[in-house]
Amino acid sequence: MDDDVKVLLIEDDIAAAEMYRMRLVADGYSVVIGRDGQEGLRMATDEAPDFIYLDLRLPGLDGFEVLERLRADAATRHIPVIILTNYGEPELRERGLKLGALEFLVKADTTPAQLAESVERATGPRVLPST
Amino acid sequence: MERAADELRSTPDLEPVSRRPVNRPSAAAGFKIQAPSNLPNRARGTRVVEPANGEGAGFYTQAARLAAQVGPAAAPPRDATIYLVQSGAVSRIATTSRGDAESGGSGAIADHPHVRQAVAGDAIVIDRSRGRAGRSLAAAVAVIPVHTDGVVVGALEVEGDGDDFDERHVGQLVTLANLIGAGLGHDATVSDLTEEAERSRNLEKMKSEFLNIAAHELRSPLGIIRGYASLLSEVALSAEEREVALERIGEKSEEMARLISDMLETARLETMGLDLAVAPVDLEDVIGDAVAAMRPLLGADHAFDLQATGGPIAVVADRRRLTTMLTNLLDNAIKYSPRGGTIEIRVGCDEGVATIMVRDHGIGISAEQVPFLFTRFGRLVTPETSHIRGTGLGLYLARETARLHGGDIVARSQAGQGSTFTITLPVELG
Repeated sequence: MDDDVKVLLIEDDIAAAEMYRMRLVADGYSVVIGRDGQEGLRMATDEAPDFIYLDLRLPGLDGFEVLERLRADAATRHIPVIILTNYGEPELRERGLKLGALEFLVKADTTPAQLAESVERATGPRVLPST
Repeated sequence: MERAADELRSTPDLEPVSRRPVNRPSAAAGFKIQAPSNLPNRARGTRVVEPANGEGAGFYTQAARLAAQVGPAAAPPRDATIYLVQSGAVSRIATTSRGDAESGGSGAIADHPHVRQAVAGDAIVIDRSRGRAGRSLAAAVAVIPVHTDGVVVGALEVEGDGDDFDERHVGQLVTLANLIGAGLGHDATVSDLTEEAERSRNLEKMKSEFLNIAAHELRSPLGIIRGYASLLSEVALSAEEREVALERIGEKSEEMARLISDMLETARLETMGLDLAVAPVDLEDVIGDAVAAMRPLLGADHAFDLQATGGPIAVVADRRRLTTMLTNLLDNAIKYSPRGGTIEIRVGCDEGVATIMVRDHGIGISAEQVPFLFTRFGRLVTPETSHIRGTGLGLYLARETARLHGGDIVARSQAGQGSTFTITLPVELG
């Protein structure tokens, strides 16, 4: 697919990452997974994703640090980021949005279908290849 | 005192009140009262205002002030009074009236129906019905009997407008009433009172922090279960993906079940202690069960290295709880070695004591922090561990379980060097 939309999931919980990946792949996106903050940053540069989902609680660099670095780097500054976390506290939400996250989603309230909708909001509707 | 109580019993009960047996102080309440060697004469014979601990009436005033603070924080100030009761008469040994402390005064017990009832029945009396004349708000009254050397010598009464006293408040009042009784019997001082107040505040804070952590810990596996369930119903998954989805749902349900069981065990331990269902078991079987139960969580990066003694090790134990204790330690070892590694399990038995050592090569903690590992609700959150899940109950419960079996768990650790937990358990001889 030429217009392949690539999504990077920065997520250390493999069960959560796999779950969202299954849905996004079914919707026609290609998905790569970074298991910690450092790996996520490296993949943001190397894989040039169109879109990033970012967990906050990560080994090593936490999500906010990752977001700051993504924003500081000219190569990754333009990539839309949605925070996807277990923590819904208003102060975290505010901090994330201030750092430039497009949305702030709480995992427990975000089904894979709702996640897929959030990608659509950010990148435009997907037209699935006819099978 | 017994005779006075008998006389009082013949008078009719007040309605409506709730009555329940007095909670005796326990180690779980955080304060141990030693039985005084002799009952102070003053408490028995005269209308005493001096505590036997030699601290003067200030002790009671302080106790009354602390009691007046028990209740919903936002409620208007309460009145707290400490009474001594003898032969149908009450003497007021300390009162705080809307925050101002006074002492002295006496009267007939008939004028203090709640106190009468608490003393006669040796029962906690809570009256939620009592709207006092001239006051628009509903009032609640709580009266807790005060014991010295096992005998009811008086009562602590707390009364507030627009208040209610729930289980927790009553528990705090019982602790204070026990301290007042101990003050009469030499054993409690003002610093015990302030320590108790401080301890109770800290525990409240830890509990609300814990609730917050627990909610997050339950929310995370629940989110995964819901997510995979929705995938199964909404998306055409491959056979392999379906398998993964079902496996994840199973794993996360187990995780939730373990969390909930830890919480229930902790609550049970706090309120009534655990009843062990003990029977003779082979410790090696229990270890085998725990290792088998945890193996699916190992993933590619971790391995167990189990070296057992080969022979049966006979212990008398609650098999289920002992297995849970071991799975908690193994789970801990996996969680805190995020980069993987071998988890060594060594079993030994020597001179009537069985030892099980669980060693990981994970992140460890500094030696100074080791004592905090086993605190209830006390999860150590450092930059290295902030992404690791946990309620802070697992190790607490594990050590309590070992101790209930007459054994113990000790930890050794160094930051960056991994941790070693050593369980000791008495072996059934014969």
